[in-house]
Amino acid sequence: MGDKTVLYDAHMKLNAKMAPFAGFEMPIQYTSIKEEVIAVRENVGVFDVSHMGEFFAEGPEAIKFIDNMMTNDFMGADLYKAVYSPLCRENGTVIDDFIAYKIGTERVLICVNASNIDKDYSWFESHVTEFDCQLSNHSSNYSLLAIQGPRSEEVLKQIEIYPTGDFPYYSAKEIQAHGEKLIIARTGYTGEDGFELFCSNQFITTLWDKLLNAGVIPCGLAARDVLRLEVGYPLYGHEIHDDVTPLDSALKWTVKFSKNNFIGKEALENYTPKYRLVKLSLDKGIPREGYPILNEEHETIGKVCSGTMSIISGKGIALCHVEKAKFPKDKKLFIQIRKNIVPANYHTKPFITGGHK
Amino acid sequence: MSNVPENLFYTVDHEWIKIDGDIATIGITDFAQKALGDIVFVELPDVGESYSVNDTFGVVESIKSVSDLLIPVAGEVLERNDDLEDTPELCNESPFDNAWMLKIKMTNAEDKSSLLDATKYTAHCEASH
Repeated sequence: MGDKTVLYDAHMKLNAKMAPFAGFEMPIQYTSIKEEVIAVRENVGVFDVSHMGEFFAEGPEAIKFIDNMMTNDFMGADLYKAVYSPLCRENGTVIDDFIAYKIGTERVLICVNASNIDKDYSWFESHVTEFDCQLSNHSSNYSLLAIQGPRSEEVLKQIEIYPTGDFPYYSAKEIQAHGEKLIIARTGYTGEDGFELFCSNQFITTLWDKLLNAGVIPCGLAARDVLRLEVGYPLYGHEIHDDVTPLDSALKWTVKFSKNNFIGKEALENYTPKYRLVKLSLDKGIPREGYPILNEEHETIGKVCSGTMSIISGKGIALCHVEKAKFPKDKKLFIQIRKNIVPANYHTKPFITGGHK
Repeated sequence: MSNVPENLFYTVDHEWIKIDGDIATIGITDFAQKALGDIVFVELPDVGESYSVNDTFGVVESIKSVSDLLIPVAGEVLERNDDLEDTPELCNESPFDNAWMLKIKMTNAEDKSSLLDATKYTAHCEASH
């Protein structure tokens, strides 16, 4: 049995199917994955993602420090904005991906994947000494809920947890609500409009109850995985991992070579990508992680990184790594499912278009 | 609590078997479909294939999982339910009727003796909870 999030008992009360994930017992599904995916695409759902890690960087050089740690541009982002980025080693390989939230001129919240909390914290810690900045790990005293779907703004206003003024996509602010200090961000990993609420472990149960009472549908990690795949978002451990760089995984848009410096810059400037991350769908069958990708001559030239059944399109969908040197010009690719070699449809755009603002 | 019809036989892998003479009709149980959740894909063999007990004859997939289907009695495939190709959700809606998977011509009548009856299967399900 792994660690429990504060909401463990609330999940058990809802009869959630629980499973170990990144060292935590997490809700995988409550009713049905299908219903939960549809709730997020058409209505509003809530995910307990309290297993994720939260660090703070504070001090005069906090922003400069984070900018140096990420391949994306943090210095250039406005105050109260969030920035998604890979976290790279000097050699350009990926340690993790994370979101940094510029919640003050000298205060940055960093949110990382649960499975990488210790690895990431050591990496940040080993670099912070060169900056006028203090780093702290609050992963065990912060809880996190993701409220996702087209009705999420309406519901948060209804329960009076919403910042004043404009709050566009990828904004982040510290607010006071119901006598509690929270951090609200217009982020998520579903492709829909939505918010993430970081709050104290003491307040999370109250918040969860308020959301459920307002009609928000509890959703599990299985639905979250389908949602992120439908919009083509990479996940650490699948599309990105310790042996690839952002340039192998369709994340070139997050690598800002125009910046003065960042960890991994030199290596990435001189790197020729080994893989192309491609989106494939099947008319029949469901691609699964590890299934081989073949060319027309039936030579293996890649593999499925993540695959599932898309609820919205009703087709099997996959994000796949294909060796760049062997990528066929005519884009004719096949996925081997057990004994069958199934022709795949090649997609240049996400499988479905999310409604985020 | 899942439904366990009295007139059927069962396996520990949550398949049901209906036996008429030397013809066995097989499918997955209510317990199985509940445990799997939304079933989105079923792959079945061609008519004419022959199997020994516990051979994999197909797969059933939910959104997140792939499970092998194991043949409970030896024999040859006489018929398969092609409806499951386009409407795999029948496995959730009607596991014992519309979602039958194969009809097998049994080659060994003895295979029946190793199957569970409804009482034993119910006990097995309770123990798996």
